[in-house]
Amino acid sequence: MSVTSDPVEQPAEQLVDPQEELLTDHSYDGIQEYDNPLPGWWTWLFIGSFFFSIFYVVYFHMGATGRTIQDQYDQQAARIFELRFAEIGELKLDEATIVQYMNDPKWLSVGKVIYKTNCVSCHGPEGGGLVGPNLTDDHWKNVRKIEDIATVIQDGAANGAMPAWRNRLSHVNQIVLSAAYVASLRGNGATGKSPEGDLIPPWPESKQ
Amino acid sequence: MHDETSSGAAAKSASSSTQLDSFSYDDHIVRLFALATLIWGLVGTLAGLIVAIILVMPQWTFMEYISFGRLRPLHTNAAIFAFAGNAIFAAVYYSTQRLCKARMWSDLLSHLHFWGWQLIIVAAAITLPLGITQSKEYAELEWPIDIAIALVWVGFFGVNFFMTLIKRRERHMYVALWFYIATIVTVALLHVFNNLVVPAGWFKSYPIYAGVQDAMMQWWYGHNAVAFFLTTPFLGLMYYFLPKAAERPVFSYKLSIIHFWSLVFIYIWAGPHHLHYTALAAWASSLGMIFSLMLWMPSWGGMINGLLTLRGAWHKVAVDPVLKFFVVGVTFYGMSTFEGPMLAIKSVNALSHYTDWTIAHVHSGALGWNGFMTFGMLYWMLPRIFQTKLWSTKLATWHFWIGTLGILLYIIPIYVAGLTQGLMWRAFDPAGNLAYPEFVETITSIVPMWWTRVGGGTLYVAGIVMMAVNYFMTWRNRPGTYDVPIVKAPPLSGGYVDPPGPESRLKGKPVTDFANSLDVWEQARWHRVWERLPVKFTVWVTIVVIVASAFELIPTFMIRSNVPTIETVKPYTPLELIGRDLYVAEGCYNCHSQMIRPLFAETERYGEYSKPGEFVYDRPFQWGSRRIGPDLARIGGKYSHAWHYEHFKEPTSVNLGSVMPAYPHLYTRELNFGSIPARMQAVAALGAEYTPTELANSEELAHVQARQIVKELLEQDPTIPQVDENGVKLADTQLIALIAYIQRVGTDYFASPEDAAAEPAAEGEGEAGDQEPADPAVEAADDPVGNAVPPANQSNEEDQ
Repeated sequence: MSVTSDPVEQPAEQLVDPQEELLTDHSYDGIQEYDNPLPGWWTWLFIGSFFFSIFYVVYFHMGATGRTIQDQYDQQAARIFELRFAEIGELKLDEATIVQYMNDPKWLSVGKVIYKTNCVSCHGPEGGGLVGPNLTDDHWKNVRKIEDIATVIQDGAANGAMPAWRNRLSHVNQIVLSAAYVASLRGNGATGKSPEGDLIPPWPESKQ
Repeated sequence: MHDETSSGAAAKSASSSTQLDSFSYDDHIVRLFALATLIWGLVGTLAGLIVAIILVMPQWTFMEYISFGRLRPLHTNAAIFAFAGNAIFAAVYYSTQRLCKARMWSDLLSHLHFWGWQLIIVAAAITLPLGITQSKEYAELEWPIDIAIALVWVGFFGVNFFMTLIKRRERHMYVALWFYIATIVTVALLHVFNNLVVPAGWFKSYPIYAGVQDAMMQWWYGHNAVAFFLTTPFLGLMYYFLPKAAERPVFSYKLSIIHFWSLVFIYIWAGPHHLHYTALAAWASSLGMIFSLMLWMPSWGGMINGLLTLRGAWHKVAVDPVLKFFVVGVTFYGMSTFEGPMLAIKSVNALSHYTDWTIAHVHSGALGWNGFMTFGMLYWMLPRIFQTKLWSTKLATWHFWIGTLGILLYIIPIYVAGLTQGLMWRAFDPAGNLAYPEFVETITSIVPMWWTRVGGGTLYVAGIVMMAVNYFMTWRNRPGTYDVPIVKAPPLSGGYVDPPGPESRLKGKPVTDFANSLDVWEQARWHRVWERLPVKFTVWVTIVVIVASAFELIPTFMIRSNVPTIETVKPYTPLELIGRDLYVAEGCYNCHSQMIRPLFAETERYGEYSKPGEFVYDRPFQWGSRRIGPDLARIGGKYSHAWHYEHFKEPTSVNLGSVMPAYPHLYTRELNFGSIPARMQAVAALGAEYTPTELANSEELAHVQARQIVKELLEQDPTIPQVDENGVKLADTQLIALIAYIQRVGTDYFASPEDAAAEPAAEGEGEAGDQEPADPAVEAADDPVGNAVPPANQSNEEDQ
C-alpha cells in the first residue's frame, strides 16, 4: 500500500526481477499485481471486433435488399425447387400424370423421400400400415381411382385420421410424386395390416 | 499469509501508532459450504449420469418422476445452483474475509444463507421430478421457490457481503471482489425480471411475458446466468486462489480493469444469440451476434491473466494437483469463450443450434472450467480449513487425470454427435431432396456417441468420488479443536487522501490538451479511487448492466413491428390450455423445439417456418433448445388422434428407434378439471381475450372438447377402450388434454378468419360441433395448390 495505514509487508522473497517487470504497490492478503501493459494482439483483436461489428450491421441492416434471413430463405427455396423440378416443370394433378410417374424410377425416388419424411410413422416403412391402413394390398378406404390418392393426401380423410397435407407439401409436384409413390407400393408384398376398405380395380396401365 | 498473526505466535511488530482491531475469520461457514459443494457435486453429476443413461435406455423410465424431461432440469439446476453455487459461496466466504481483513458482517446471515440455499435445493429436488416447473431453462423453479431464492440471495448473501465490504479494513478492493459485486447485483436483476409471473395456485404460474418477448427475457437471463453465475464468480475465485496457490503476482492489473468492465458491459447483450433464425426480430439477433464476437477478447483477458500469472511457477504445476486443476480449468475457459463467439455467428449457429454441439460446449465449460476450478479450490482449501495435511496428494492427482480423461471422453463424442446430426438434418441429395428424411435416422446414428458419453461421465463422477474420499480422510485428521487465529489490523481511517494523480506521459510533446488528459485517463488512476469506494463501484456496475439490458429489452417490448399481429391466432381453449400445461410439466421442451427456422432443410422437414405473431398466447414460450426429437411447431393436425394414442403409450410401436420414453401415466391419471378456472383467470388477466361466458364455463367447455376428441378418436380406432380397467373414463384422462393441445399447435396460422371467429362462439354454446378446431384441411381449401398463402396483414419484414 502506498499509505502507511496498513501494517502490510511486502512478501519476503521478491521472485521477479523488478528491473524487467514493474510491480504495483498493491498487496491483498499477500497477492500482488504487476503493472504490465495490455498485450498488443489482445488490444488489436478487441478493436478489430468492434470494426467488424460495424461492418456487419452496415452490410446486413442498412436496407440493402436480398440480405435478410427471409430473403435468403426464398432464394434457397427457389434454387432447390429449380434443381428438383426444372426438368418436369409444374405437373398436373390427373390420372395420366400420376400413372406416368408411378412408372418412372427416377422421379419415384423423390416421392419416396416425401413418403419417408411424412408418411412412414403411420403407414410403415414399406407401406404395410401401422396406425394408418396398409397401402400394399388391393383394398382402399377412400380411394377408388388413382387420382383419389392425391385428393386424400391434400385434404385428409376420415375426420382427421388421415391428416391433410395441403399446407405442408409446398409444391404441387410433391403431391403428384408422393401420390405416385404411394400408388407404386400396391402389390409390393410387404407384410402388414390386414386389408381395410373396399376392393378396387387395378391402377390403369401407363400410356407410354 | 503475511498479515495473519496466529494466536500462538508473537504479535507482529505493527509499529504504527494506530489502534489495531483484533478479529478472526469465520471458517466454519466455509467448511459448511465446502461440504455442500462436495455433496451436491456428487448429486448433480450423478443426476447427469442418470439422464445420460435414460436417454439411451428410455425403456428404463420405470416411473414418470425419472423421465428425461423431468430429470434433465434437475441435473442442470443441481450442477449450476447446487454444485457451482455452493462452490461460489465457499470461495466468496473464504476470500472476501481475507481480502477485506474483516469477518463476515453477520454470522447469523451467513448461516441463514447457507441453510436457506440448501433448503431451496431440496425444494428443487422434490418439485422438478413432480413436474412442477416454469419450463424456462435454469429458471424452472416455481414462484414460491423463486421468492425464497430472491430472499436468500439478496437479503442474506447480498446484505452480508456488502456490509462486510463496507466494514472492511483493507482500503482498496481487489479484482476478485469486483467480480463478486458484479455477480451479486446482476444475478439478482436477472432472477427477478425473468421470473415475473402471475400465479395460478401454489404450484403453477404464467409468465407476464409471452412468446417472442418471453423468449427474449429467458435468454437474456439464460445467457447471463452463464455469465454471472458460472463466469464472473469463478473469475473472482481464480483471481484469489490461483495466485495464492502459485505464489506469484497477477500478470496485469490494467488487464484486470479493462477485461472486468468490458466483460460486464458486453456480456449482457449477447443473449439473443440463443435465438438466431427464430421469430425474434433480426436486429436483436444481430446485436446478440456482434456483442458475442466483441466478448471474445474480454473473456480471454481473464484467461491471459490466469495463465500468465503462472509464469515462473510452471515447475510447481508438475507436482501440485491444485495448479494442475487450475491450468486445465482456465484453458477450458479459454476454449469455451472462443467457441461461444464462434457459435454465436449466425451461419455457424444454423448448423450447431438444436444439436449436441451446444451440449458439448456447455460441458467443456461446466466440467472443465467450473468443475476443475472448484476442485482446485477445494484441494487448496482442505488443508487450511481442516488445519492438517491433505490426506493424499497422489489421489488428488489421480482425480485430476481421471477427470480430464472423463471430460475428453464426454465432449469429443458429443461434438461428433452434434456435427453428425446437424449435417444430416441439412443434407440434400444431388436431386435436391432431403438425404435423411426420417428424423429418427439422425438419432440412431448418434446413439453410439451417447453411449461413449456415459463412459466419460462415469469417469468424471469417479473422480469426484475420489475427492470425497480425500475430503473425508483429511477431515478425519483434523485437530480436536480448530485453532482460530486472531488477526490484527487497523480500521480504515477517515480522511484518506489519494496519492497525487499521474502526469501525462506525453507532457512536453507537441500534443493537444485532450491527448494529455486521455493519457492520464488511460493510466487508470481514477479506477484506483473507485476501488476504495464500494458503493460507488456497485452503483456503476448496476448502471452498466441495466443500460446494456435496456438497449435490447425495451425495443423488444415497445416496437410493434417486432411481432406483427396474425388475426387468426386465437387463445387456447380451456382444455388446450391445461393440455399445454401438461406439455410444460412433462418437460417436453427438453427434447422438442417449437420453432421452425427459415432454413429450407427445416421447412422441408417440418413445414412453414414459425412467425412471431403465432406465439402471443404462449406463456411460457416452448421454443426449446435441443432437438432430441423432431420440431413440433406444426405438429397440430399432422397425425391423427389415434396415432398420438399409440405413440404416447409406446413410441417405438409407431417409430422404430425412437428414444422417447412411454407415458403410461397419462392414460390412467384423471385430468384436474377443477384447476382450469384458475388457469383461465390467470392467462385472461395477462391479456388472453376470453369472453365472460368462456371464463365462467371453462370447466364444462373442457369436458365438451374432451368428449369430442374421444368421439373422433373412437371413429379413427374403434378398438380403443372408453373406460380403463380402473374405471377411469378416457375423456377424463390427461392424455386427451395433451392431444387437444398438440392438435392445436401451429394450426392457427393456416386458419381462415371466418373459422377463427366462429370457433369460440360454437364452443361458448357448449355444442359438440363436429368441426375439429382449426383443421387446416378445411380452411385452406381456396389456396392455390402448392403454396400455403399466409393470412392477410402478416408481414415478414421486421427490420426497424
